[in-house]
Amino acid sequence: MNPSAATEISSQAITLMATLMLLVQLLMTAQRMLLTSIRLFAIQSLLLAGIAALVAYHHNASHVYVVAGLTLIGKVIFLPWLLNRLVHRIQIHQEIEPLLNAPTSMLICGGLTLLGYVLARPFTSMERLGNNTLGIALTLLLTGFFLMINRRKALTQVLALLTVENGVMLAAVALTSYGMPLVVELGIFFDVLVAVMVLGILVYRIRESFASMDTSKLNQLKG
Amino acid sequence: MNAFPATLLIFALGAYVAGIAGALLFQRAERLANGIGFGLAAVGGFCGVLACASALATGAVTASQSFELFPSLIPFVRFSIHADALGCFFGMIVSLLGWALSIYSLGYARGYYGRKNVGVFGAGFNLLLLATTLVFLADHALFFLIAWEIMALTAYSLVSFEHEQEETRNAGVLFFVMSHLGTGCLILGFLLLFQASGSYGFDSFHALGNTLPAGRRNVVFLLFLIGFGVKAGMVPLHIWLPAAHPVAPSNVSALMSGVIVKTGIYGLTRVGFDFLGTPPNWWGVTVLTIGTISAVLGVLYALMEHDLKRLLAYHSIENIGIILMGLGAALMFRHSGHPVLASLALIAGLYHTLNHAVFKALLFLGAGAVLHATHTRNMEDMGGLAKRMRWTALFFLVGAVAISALPPLNGFVSEWLTYQSLLQGFGTTTRLIRLMFPLSGAMLALTGALAAACFVKAFGITFLAQPRSNPARHAHEAPFPMLLGQGILTAACVFLGLFPTLFLKLFDPLTQQLTGQQLSQQLTTANGLVLSGGGAQGGTVSTLGITLMLLCLLPVPLGLWLLFARRSRTRIAPTWDCGLRGLTPQMEYTATGFSKPLRMIFKALFRPRREVQREYDFSPYFATTLRFESHVEEVFQTRIYRPLRWLVLRASRRTRALQAGSIQAYLIYIFVTLLALLLFAL
Repeated sequence: MNPSAATEISSQAITLMATLMLLVQLLMTAQRMLLTSIRLFAIQSLLLAGIAALVAYHHNASHVYVVAGLTLIGKVIFLPWLLNRLVHRIQIHQEIEPLLNAPTSMLICGGLTLLGYVLARPFTSMERLGNNTLGIALTLLLTGFFLMINRRKALTQVLALLTVENGVMLAAVALTSYGMPLVVELGIFFDVLVAVMVLGILVYRIRESFASMDTSKLNQLKG
Repeated sequence: MNAFPATLLIFALGAYVAGIAGALLFQRAERLANGIGFGLAAVGGFCGVLACASALATGAVTASQSFELFPSLIPFVRFSIHADALGCFFGMIVSLLGWALSIYSLGYARGYYGRKNVGVFGAGFNLLLLATTLVFLADHALFFLIAWEIMALTAYSLVSFEHEQEETRNAGVLFFVMSHLGTGCLILGFLLLFQASGSYGFDSFHALGNTLPAGRRNVVFLLFLIGFGVKAGMVPLHIWLPAAHPVAPSNVSALMSGVIVKTGIYGLTRVGFDFLGTPPNWWGVTVLTIGTISAVLGVLYALMEHDLKRLLAYHSIENIGIILMGLGAALMFRHSGHPVLASLALIAGLYHTLNHAVFKALLFLGAGAVLHATHTRNMEDMGGLAKRMRWTALFFLVGAVAISALPPLNGFVSEWLTYQSLLQGFGTTTRLIRLMFPLSGAMLALTGALAAACFVKAFGITFLAQPRSNPARHAHEAPFPMLLGQGILTAACVFLGLFPTLFLKLFDPLTQQLTGQQLSQQLTTANGLVLSGGGAQGGTVSTLGITLMLLCLLPVPLGLWLLFARRSRTRIAPTWDCGLRGLTPQMEYTATGFSKPLRMIFKALFRPRREVQREYDFSPYFATTLRFESHVEEVFQTRIYRPLRWLVLRASRRTRALQAGSIQAYLIYIFVTLLALLLFAL
């Protein structure tokens, strides 16, 4: 297999996986079941790990393997497990009502996707592998943010934050051919890990104090 | 600057730092903390005076270099200091006061033993001295602002030192708010200068104003005028001053009134004469007008006070006004191209800055000693202290004479120089605006007279006649360190008054730096015995001569007694009491009564209000109880600040709707901002 053909194939694969990540993200915006959402997130992270591994393989950059491995262990296995346990513990399996209904959310997400692609256009020439991965990364970021706003449950907000982080990782892996310096990636990774831990505890506490984990009730704290 | 003063200066700063560390380290042992904290501050102050005075006297300041205190870890900030003539002059003031006040504090802080943390007090005092010295020496805008902020925050914490009382807490908050209002303006001003010069170093700001477009230059000037004006306490930004000075511990009020307030004057001089180039005429007119108004209003409100320390605080406003008159006149002369007169007015203003620092600190120390002895600030409860606190009374009297601008003490000299510059200013231009000069001169005369009246009241009610309350009856003299601190300042008052021509030499490098003139030769005649106003129309005066003449007159009564009265009989008897059964304190003149004529004359300003309630059984002429209340309206509080505060509160209540307390709302704010920025970048 000559090098250019190999590049072509990995590029195609990365584009495919990135697109799947976006698809999963859109599914999450329409999803109400918490357990399904967690599963979707795990799938998204798995795709991200795949992309990272492919980039590492293609550039022969061993430290990106570490990133891929960490993503696999942390985001595909550990965090979903943790969140799953939390869901079982607090006995709530369904988002009762998002602020906006599914069709409207989809429309908004479509708009945000458009915006992400437009924003990424000036930078597409910098991508080494794959097409429009940066656009997808930005879209993940924006829709993840929207998801955070749209949901009431602290748990779904945690999930949304994690997808935002996935977007950041994707941008890092796609745009810089060797990924960011390992230290930075490790930093982000542990940051997110700790954030989820803290939020997990917080969710539990909110539930204990308010008999609900509806964050829009937190304004009762204000004097 | 050659090695000697520079080393000494660094040593002084080091002593302050050691004072902070030592006082904090030994805060458990309060005697030790007191000794170390204030002792090291005194050492630092003394070294600072020596360093700055010798640098100014030898002219070494002109050759001084900017150097970094310690390498900076923060980008854009250089911790560089430059002891130039202006900085050195103000450094001398703060060091002189630091020296005298620290000695005083050794005694004063004893009053806090077992009640308060003396170690923290000493450390704060050292930190305040350190920060203020650095404000004067900083050579870099950001370093200056850092020192400025440390100074403001330390001053705030020292003002609120006796925070158990609500009045103190309120005053502290008011000081805090006003101070930061000013700092905001300063930051904006420095940013505008930075935009033009591309550097934060003060050397790059030099004469920058000449290259700025006129509109921007005016904005910069106004920002600095407000920013430094708040600190200086000029009307109408003065309201924090009479609130904060009285409630602070007396050594801190002395330092605040003597030095902290002067940082505003320093800033205005630095900006007006160093940075902003040749000023347009209205700058000078504005400063002169504000100065005149501050002087007159300050003294008028002082007259109405019967809280001894508040009275002194209002006098600070008055004296800041006099200083600003000098600075404003100097700016006007600079505009009209009279560098010699500008130098004269500048010297007048800055000499008064030094003098005011000395005598006001002295008066605050005296008030502190009185407070220490009687535990009240209300003059109506004092009286008769001259017999019980002889030395304090003497020192206070000297300070009162000095602040009333009576010859031969120092207040007279600098006000005389201000008159000279104002009167000679009339001839510098033919435009109608020249009427400003004689007008503000007349106002200055009015101010002087009212100040004298006010200190007749302050001294008379506090120290003379019979004690009006029990604490005053049992008052005792202050401990020795407190007297020594006052003594140093009293000596300074006398020296600055009697030998002005000696001290004028210190101004040569200063005026050389700011206006390119050296005046000490012109202002000195007859081998330094006589002070002259310079120029053809200038007058001359010799405080030393006046004193010597007075001393020569002293034997005259003795001679008269020898001639005519030697044979008459001396009889010792009580004061005649109009046939009543003995004199009681109730018959004494009160502070309120003393100032009543003036309250009536300036009725339009004071809007005095009084309430009399009398209860009687059968005839109104035989009242059983009588209640009398008299109030003076503080126009600035009621007419400007109260509506302003109401507006701010209302606006805050409106904006509070943004803080909904809901996570979703906050997330939306962030999201919308992000989107807006992204779209903006497109």
